[in-house]
Amino acid sequence: MLSCAEFLAEFGDYLEEAASPEVRASLEQHLHECKTCQVIVDSTRKTIRFVTDCDSFTLTADQVEPIVKDVMKRIREKKP
Amino acid sequence: MGGNLAARNAQIDPFPGLVEAYGFVPNLFGLQKKLPRVIEAEQRLIDVIVVRESGLSRRMKDSLFRTVASARGNDYCRALHARTHPNKGEENPALIAFANKLAKHAPWVGKHDVEALRAAGFEDSLILETVLIVALGQLLCTLANALRPNLDPGLPLPAPIESSDLLEPGEHFETMGPYLQPHSQPAADFEPYAFFREQFGFVPKLFQEQMLRPDVVEAESQTLAKVLLPEDLLSRVAKEHTVLLISAANRNTYLVAMHSQILATLGVPPEDSNQIVEDHRCAAISPAEMALLDEVRKLACCPAGGEAGFDPVPLRAHGFSEPQILEAVAMAAVVNFLNTLQAGLGTTPDFPPRRVFTRKDLYPSSGPSRLISDATSPDDPDAAIVVRVQDGDTNAFEELVRRHSRRVFGTLAGLLGNLDDARDVTQDVFLKAFEHIGRFQRRSKFSTWLTSIAINTGTELLRQRKPLESLDEGEEEAEFRPRQIQSWADDPEQALAASQRINLVREGVLRLPEKYRVVVVLRDINQDSTEEAAAALGLSIPAVKARLLRGRLMLRESLAPHFIRREKRSPDAKLR
Repeated sequence: MLSCAEFLAEFGDYLEEAASPEVRASLEQHLHECKTCQVIVDSTRKTIRFVTDCDSFTLTADQVEPIVKDVMKRIREKKP
Repeated sequence: MGGNLAARNAQIDPFPGLVEAYGFVPNLFGLQKKLPRVIEAEQRLIDVIVVRESGLSRRMKDSLFRTVASARGNDYCRALHARTHPNKGEENPALIAFANKLAKHAPWVGKHDVEALRAAGFEDSLILETVLIVALGQLLCTLANALRPNLDPGLPLPAPIESSDLLEPGEHFETMGPYLQPHSQPAADFEPYAFFREQFGFVPKLFQEQMLRPDVVEAESQTLAKVLLPEDLLSRVAKEHTVLLISAANRNTYLVAMHSQILATLGVPPEDSNQIVEDHRCAAISPAEMALLDEVRKLACCPAGGEAGFDPVPLRAHGFSEPQILEAVAMAAVVNFLNTLQAGLGTTPDFPPRRVFTRKDLYPSSGPSRLISDATSPDDPDAAIVVRVQDGDTNAFEELVRRHSRRVFGTLAGLLGNLDDARDVTQDVFLKAFEHIGRFQRRSKFSTWLTSIAINTGTELLRQRKPLESLDEGEEEAEFRPRQIQSWADDPEQALAASQRINLVREGVLRLPEKYRVVVVLRDINQDSTEEAAAALGLSIPAVKARLLRGRLMLRESLAPHFIRREKRSPDAKLR
């Protein structure tokens, strides 16, 4: 069976549901027996959910138009 | 006139070899006086190839130099070699035709061209000499194209050489060499070989195949020692990037393979080298180096059609000193020299090449429509608008800004951490994209190209603020072992208010080392695919996956204290 270190090195594709059937089977075998790695997988999934769902780094729709206008104004000013 | 100049220069000039070769010190070298080690290298090559008596007369050598200068359209070099002309019966059309083809269409030169010379009675030593003169002619023309010296006094501008072989080649023949007969190799203590082994780890075949002239190999090793190796001005990696870029522009599989390998020994991952070869504008390099490569690219023997000439002004604006600019020009000249040698000798790669320039690469662009080829990125939803902007429709760019400002802002906000900075730099990124969109060849999606500009611009800003953490695909740090291994609440969103959660995530992302942060930003915040992130960062897909996992685990570590299930701890949990 995989060690935890081997599991942690390989489970990136598993999180993305992109692991091959063989890799997936061996990772799940380890998970079935390892409470610690279950915790790590669960909490990493929740971490990804936080990052993808949070609007920490996004512009609101009304913030986009001023940028568009400023950029185009600067481009037109630069053009000979 | 020549005698007076010689007397004047012999008194004041520290480069007697140039006076011996030309009768005076040409302006071309005077313009490089801030970088004497480079002039010394050039002087040494001129000494062994031009001055030293050999099978070809000086008059014939000058005739070959003029052929190269005409092929490159360089009046200065034509004038510099116009003092002598072959005597009747000495001029040889076969050599001139070969030199012209090698100067103008090096990738098309093949075994049949060398065999034609043999059939005309030329031995390998004379063929090698001809190749060396064409290569040196390319070096001098590259210098003259960049430095634009005034014509030296007393030298009339000669009429261009007319050749019957100036047509574009229509057929492509076998270009696998070596074309010359193998020559016995030198004693184990031959100094240039020791130099190559020490610096590169091997003796490139390109030099082994010139062992008919060990004096030339020695001069070439000294040239590399004086131009490529010193790091007092430009970094070695920047110079190696120049080798890759110009060799790729010249469609030279050999030099690209050799210097990709050398870069690998310097710790540069193959994927990064490949990015320079395929499209340096998408490479993860600083804006200053980008500007440097933009300019030196114009000095290739096969420059892209329609490009303006080399311009030092943007380089000065990026803070490059005159000696640094001179060194970049000298480096480009040496690369053209080596590329021409390889094409003339047919040297096969020392290593399995990652990029082989094929027949398809050899046929030059026939016009703007060539940009839309089967090499462009399929399914780019922005393609039609990009074409309109490239065709001069400035207003069409507005839609691209509207579509992508959130993505660019997200990348910069994640990278810089400061939302006001991100907003300002977002504008700069779009201005840069507009400025360079003419060169965007649509081999990647527009959004990927734009993201790479955002990352370059953002990392440059960070570099100005603090010592840069490398984004290079170097060794990953030791294995990361999670320490927070207690269960999280089933519904951790309930543990904190949304605004607190957003702040925690933002702080956690910003605490990540830059190389992990940028991947998390692209994959989890911008929600780019792994392939898109790899293309934007110039990294391999495995490297992106490894960094993403590491970044996510580190982020998990920093969030864990806020979300662990307080009532049911697992005190015995540990990694096995």
